[in-house]
Amino acid sequence: MQRRNFIRQSGLLTAGFLVHQQMLQAYGSTAVAKTISIGIIGCGDRGVGLGSVINNMPEQFQLKAVCDVLSFRLDQAKKLDKQNNLGYEKDYRKILDDKTIDAVIIATPLHNHYEIAAAAIKAGKHVYLEKTMTYDADQSLALVKLTQQYPKQVLQVGHQYRYTPLYFKVKELIDKGYLGKVTQIDCRWDRNWNWRRAVPQGYTDRQVNWRMYKEYSGGLPAELLSHQVDFINWAFNTHPDEVLGTGGIDYYKDGRETFDNVQTILRYNKDGMIGNFGATCGNEKDGYLFKLKGTKGTIQLLMNDGIFFPEKQTKSELETVDGVTGATKIEWNKDGGIPILKEKSKDGSWYALKEFHKTVTENLKPVSNVITGATTAFCVHLMNQSIYKHSIETWKPEFNLV
Amino acid sequence: MRLFLLLILVVLGAHRSVEWKRYTITGTAQGTTYSISYYAEDSAVTKSVIDSVLMSLDSSLSLYKPYSRINQFNNSAKGIAIDNHLREVVKKSIATCKATNGLFDITVQPLVRAWGFGVTKTNTVPDATAIKNILSCVNTKLLRLKRNRLIKAKPCVKIDLNGIAQGYSVDVLAALLEKHGIKNYIVELGGEISVKGRKQPSGEKMKIGIESPNEDAFENHPLQKIIELDAGAITTSGSYRQYYESKGQKITHLINPKTGYPHKNELISVTVYAKDAITADAYDNALMLMGLKQALAFVERRKDLAAYFVYKNANGSIADTASSAFLKLMNP
Repeated sequence: MQRRNFIRQSGLLTAGFLVHQQMLQAYGSTAVAKTISIGIIGCGDRGVGLGSVINNMPEQFQLKAVCDVLSFRLDQAKKLDKQNNLGYEKDYRKILDDKTIDAVIIATPLHNHYEIAAAAIKAGKHVYLEKTMTYDADQSLALVKLTQQYPKQVLQVGHQYRYTPLYFKVKELIDKGYLGKVTQIDCRWDRNWNWRRAVPQGYTDRQVNWRMYKEYSGGLPAELLSHQVDFINWAFNTHPDEVLGTGGIDYYKDGRETFDNVQTILRYNKDGMIGNFGATCGNEKDGYLFKLKGTKGTIQLLMNDGIFFPEKQTKSELETVDGVTGATKIEWNKDGGIPILKEKSKDGSWYALKEFHKTVTENLKPVSNVITGATTAFCVHLMNQSIYKHSIETWKPEFNLV
Repeated sequence: MRLFLLLILVVLGAHRSVEWKRYTITGTAQGTTYSISYYAEDSAVTKSVIDSVLMSLDSSLSLYKPYSRINQFNNSAKGIAIDNHLREVVKKSIATCKATNGLFDITVQPLVRAWGFGVTKTNTVPDATAIKNILSCVNTKLLRLKRNRLIKAKPCVKIDLNGIAQGYSVDVLAALLEKHGIKNYIVELGGEISVKGRKQPSGEKMKIGIESPNEDAFENHPLQKIIELDAGAITTSGSYRQYYESKGQKITHLINPKTGYPHKNELISVTVYAKDAITADAYDNALMLMGLKQALAFVERRKDLAAYFVYKNANGSIADTASSAFLKLMNP
């Protein structure tokens, strides 16, 4: 067995042990609680994806109805209809009027988020609202205000990484100082394709490829980078003070309005950090990249894997033993990194929906709630403002929500 | 002028204090990894020297080398002429077999193979008749050491030195370092360790971590211990890593040579301290098979052994205990 493993086990995984206990308590004992009936509004990839997760959680949820304005989307949702008892609606108001439905999942194009979420709250539904919470900052402020009038209803925002054991543990490693002082964050979410869906006969590009149009979408910052922005807000309990962005339609000059190549720099004054958040549709080498760089070490995150790379000095400090006696050796990462979690996590949505069930049945405030969702929506708003207006945007006093 | 320079050099040389350096050699051998660190002024022992010694050990003791002495013996009908390594290990094995009332027995090889932990791994469980048949070939009394010959009473008698060869190898490597005048070192091979002296120039004792078992993915080493040693050897035997499951039963690689069945008691791991690694290694598996109460009593009776046990309580919780001599090592 390697010395490095002893480090891992004596330090990092002890932290992990605590996390797991909490996670187990949080997610392990739900035999008592009631089943929540669900309607899904918006049956694109995300809505149907969440639907199939829900179908695998029969103790927590029962899917009752699905809704989409596009017929072919409703057809796609038929694969969720395991018992042949789903309701199909084109008008979301029908779902909201259905008294047998307790909660709705909203996974529509971004520009509809506010309108539907507000109507759902007013109709007495609990809401699981996909990220980004709203299209712009004003809508976020309005939604925060509205939900304050309905304290018994849960609004959870679909930043699901907040709920995965891996990201949960990374936050704990940060809190415990394993990274030292973090000064730089590098995030990418790259791909090498046009990010378009095929448009079926009889439908318009604006209906299907709404992400390409400014009227409906916040582009790459809203649809992709918001996850990582949200994680940093949460992990460091912070928000950026200054945002500088740039971008363009640099490769796919196919009539789209939103940019296929963006880069933003977020400055966090209180924390003395710079966050570099970028995405391109023209290269997939890095794909999903998320690095947090501190004076003591680096955490490199993939969606389901995380590795801690101690800095040289930290490594020697951590090497507390000269040898380890054990039954046999364990393999370890060839790059000199220490894997953060041994077991593979489930998909983030599973953890997020577990939390949704718990907060609804126990009347709790979700970790990813209307306030944190608004804070991230403000960040995305400023990123897009800066990108489109060639300006340096600053955090506004009204964004400081309590 | 030249003479003057020479004189200066001689004077400087005489008054120069020792400049300690830490040398670390790592590599793979015997199906696992090894790590050697020593403190010296120069690299008195190199990796190629270590590797050639390990190679000669493999050629003698490894079941994984088809040409090895041990395989030659196993394949023979009556026995063969053996080399020094094999003789030393067999001698110690016979003595340990006696001392443990047969719980350590190198003739266990056919059983280990039948249970799927031989050179080729399988997950098939042998039936009672097969085990009974095999047991007739398992007994150290069927072995005889006669000068440089190892003789077997039946062709089916075959030996497996996996429970002792690593410990012996650690001792051979330690002796090699000593032969080169190295007095401060730690040798580790597959989790078996031998230590002497102190870290230089700090004078700190060497720290040894005792790996704690991890049977459940959510239980991350609540019992991990670190001990400091001036000299001696420490080895660990555990049921927690090499096993497979069959019909809900955990089949571990530790096979009881007396019953023919795998280890099944409350012990999860045993860490043994002794003067040399061959002794510690020889006893750790036998202690595992004894069960906690008997093992603890056994170690307390022996002045040359100390042990640390991790075990499972009746209620499923994991606990640890140690012999009085080992407690002194943990709390000096």
